Amino acid sequence: MDWELVAFLVLSVLEVVGSILVVTNKRLVRAAFWLAMTLVTIGGIYLLFGSEFIFLIQILVYAGTVPILFVFGLMLTRTKIMDEPSTEEGT
Amino acid sequence: MPGFWINMGPQHPMTHGLWNMKVKIDGETITDAKPEIGYLHRGYEKIMEVREFQKNVVLTDRLCYVSSLTWSHAYCLAAEKMMGLEVPVRGQWIRVLALEIQRVASHLMWLAAYGPDLGLLTALLWALRERELWLDLLQLLTGARMNQNYPRIGGVRNDLPENFDGMCRRVITHFEGKLDEYEKLLHDSKIFHLRTLGVGRISAEDAINWGVTGPNLRACGVNVDLRRLDPYETYDELDFEAQVWKGSSAGDSYARFVCRFNEMRTSCDIILQVLEKMPTSGAYRTKEPRRAEGDGFARTEDSRGEALFYILGDGDDRPYRVKIRSPIFCSMAATPLMLRGNKLADLVAILGSIDVCVGEMDK
Amino acid sequence: MSQPLVPDLFATCKVLTGAILWVVQQILLALGAVIPPLKDLGNWLASDPVVSAVTWLVVMTVMLLWAVLINLLTMMWVERKFYSRLQDRYGIMVSIWSLPIWPFNRKDRPTHKGWGYLQNVADGMKLLQKENLTPRGADSAMFHMAPVLIASSTLMIFVALPWSSGFVVAKPDLSLLFILAAFSIAPFGILIAGWSANNKYTLVGGMRAAAQLMAYEIPLILCVIALVFTTGSLDVYEIVAQQERTLVTLGPLAIPAWNLFGPQALGAVVFAVAMMAEMERIPFDIPEAEAELVEGWTTEYSGMRFGLLFGFKWLRMIAGAGLISILYLGGWTGPVFTVVQVAGIPVPIIPEEVWFMLRVYLLSVVFIWISWSVPRIRIDQILQLGWKRLIPLSLLAILLAAGASLVGW
Repeated sequence: MDWELVAFLVLSVLEVVGSILVVTNKRLVRAAFWLAMTLVTIGGIYLLFGSEFIFLIQILVYAGTVPILFVFGLMLTRTKIMDEPSTEEGT
Repeated sequence: MPGFWINMGPQHPMTHGLWNMKVKIDGETITDAKPEIGYLHRGYEKIMEVREFQKNVVLTDRLCYVSSLTWSHAYCLAAEKMMGLEVPVRGQWIRVLALEIQRVASHLMWLAAYGPDLGLLTALLWALRERELWLDLLQLLTGARMNQNYPRIGGVRNDLPENFDGMCRRVITHFEGKLDEYEKLLHDSKIFHLRTLGVGRISAEDAINWGVTGPNLRACGVNVDLRRLDPYETYDELDFEAQVWKGSSAGDSYARFVCRFNEMRTSCDIILQVLEKMPTSGAYRTKEPRRAEGDGFARTEDSRGEALFYILGDGDDRPYRVKIRSPIFCSMAATPLMLRGNKLADLVAILGSIDVCVGEMDK
Repeated sequence: MSQPLVPDLFATCKVLTGAILWVVQQILLALGAVIPPLKDLGNWLASDPVVSAVTWLVVMTVMLLWAVLINLLTMMWVERKFYSRLQDRYGIMVSIWSLPIWPFNRKDRPTHKGWGYLQNVADGMKLLQKENLTPRGADSAMFHMAPVLIASSTLMIFVALPWSSGFVVAKPDLSLLFILAAFSIAPFGILIAGWSANNKYTLVGGMRAAAQLMAYEIPLILCVIALVFTTGSLDVYEIVAQQERTLVTLGPLAIPAWNLFGPQALGAVVFAVAMMAEMERIPFDIPEAEAELVEGWTTEYSGMRFGLLFGFKWLRMIAGAGLISILYLGGWTGPVFTVVQVAGIPVPIIPEEVWFMLRVYLLSVVFIWISWSVPRIRIDQILQLGWKRLIPLSLLAILLAAGASLVGW
């Protein structure tokens, strides 16, 4: 089999699985990780098609974007940090 | 994300001691704060009841580990008032000298701690470098660097060492040059202004209502210096001005910083005056009575504010009841006012400028 | 122009690897007289594809050791010594005579009057021995992955960052873009570390890192765009080669045409400030402000994981200083032409590597100097600085560069 096809298939599978995990994962940090994974594998496919420039731009841009999306997700969720009896404790 | 409480302490680089500042933050903004103190409570007022008057000097030395001489002096002053003692003039002058040296050393410790609070470790080492000289002076005078046990009820423990005035003058000449250096490092730094100007503001009214005293109150523009208002020892013979903030943004961290910083210059000035006006010989201590009855009340201008001792004697050789007012204990109660609405990073800029000393705060 | 000491790292390493594998082949061939399959193994090992593959590993190891073992330790030592002198003290002074190994362990020698170079090694050894703790309630996998992400992405910078025209692992066409892309991965790792540790300090630190990222990353890239107007290339070799010519001759001094002198000067300043935020040095080390956040996002890490996160800050500083030197200060070009012939091989007296390291270390010392003489700024202030000052200035730099290229400067 052609190695390019193998690489493409592997990257595509990673990408599809990753993108599913982004939306299904309950834990925010994992979702962010899978999002980054998806974006990097898309970049890998760009690289496979011989467009290095877009691959690097993809990493450059989305490496900055993922944390921002992550922070937005963080601000919108109401997750408790360091399980404590009540966040309003300590009047 | 809901706002949450963060414990800043009891083991935290910001606290400079053993206490806990709970802050509620919303993102980066402090919405509420709650100081938790008492980790270092040793029950001073009770311990002092079971010790003889003179032995309590050792205890009061340990009230504040940065500025111990001012505290034992305040105790001695109260005890003398109770006993009706008159300290010899030379003893009073020596006390003023020792107090001002201790004040500079204490303020240098504060300056040293304030640097790393803002992320400037260089200020720490520079300030500690000069603090050594002042501690050397204290060591020459009292024999100890930290817990001097120097004031006595009725005077001071020992006379000045030989050539002490010359050494003081040398240290002050050197130190005033270094103060200019600190000003270049801190006052002239744009980032320092960014961090302190307009941060942690408290109005003069609030400060008075909450019992904030000392440099922290003077930074609000209120001219309260017990050395001037209610002179004890020989402060009324000295010519100096209390450092009061006169600028526009009163009561912020920068004002507190500048007031405290300039107090070091004032203290240097006072020391030079003392060295000139002090009688060269004479008694420095009177014999104190063993037992006493009545009450003694003394308040002094400690390095951090108004230190107050109220002693009741019932005719025994030890106090019946002692009341200590610690300035930081009251200032700490006002910190939530200063903190609310500021950013999390301002917490250190505010609490550092208040100059917390946990030893006296928790008593 | 001066010559590189290592004309081609790959070729140099390949000679070495080839020699070693040839020796292995000979041994295996000799053994092959007894065990016949070893003969084939020997021949396979010495074949060209295998040698090339092993050489890649060797090249990467050489670069890793060079960057981490030599430059990282030296940079940490330089910083510790330099700021100690700034603070009127000696700093680290442990000497080699304090080593517990015999030839060094000499009673008649002072143990604490040395240079202190080995102090960092000792600190690293201590960190290696520490227990590696994972906080309860932490997202274990993510918590353990974040240091790996940060360390590996930092090392990835050195794949494309050249130390001279020859001393480099790989020469991609878009090397500048590659370096910047590798730089930009670490903040994501910081955010993961901050969130997964299940600690409030680390969380706030991670949030700050994300906010800060936006403030410095955009001006950084905009400055590079301004630079590309002048250079027309994203290849660092091309960029350095363009800076080799002489701009103007002042008597005996020939001022080189560095990008700093010209329409890029503004961009260079903005780039340096943004780079300082990228390196998390003190005016901008907000994510790990130790005064209020203890150590920010690294609070919960212990042992060598903390060591990696902590130490690789200096590696990023080296990389950042190297990038500034390449883009604005003429990279590895130097004025010495003289080449000594040693057994027929030309050896430059001051090779390109030395010129490059000189720039890197001088720049780093400037950064260290700045960071130990100013306080830390606040998170909202760095956002204001980034969005209200640096981004307009970098847009102005683009305008300047575009105008300059229009009139053909």
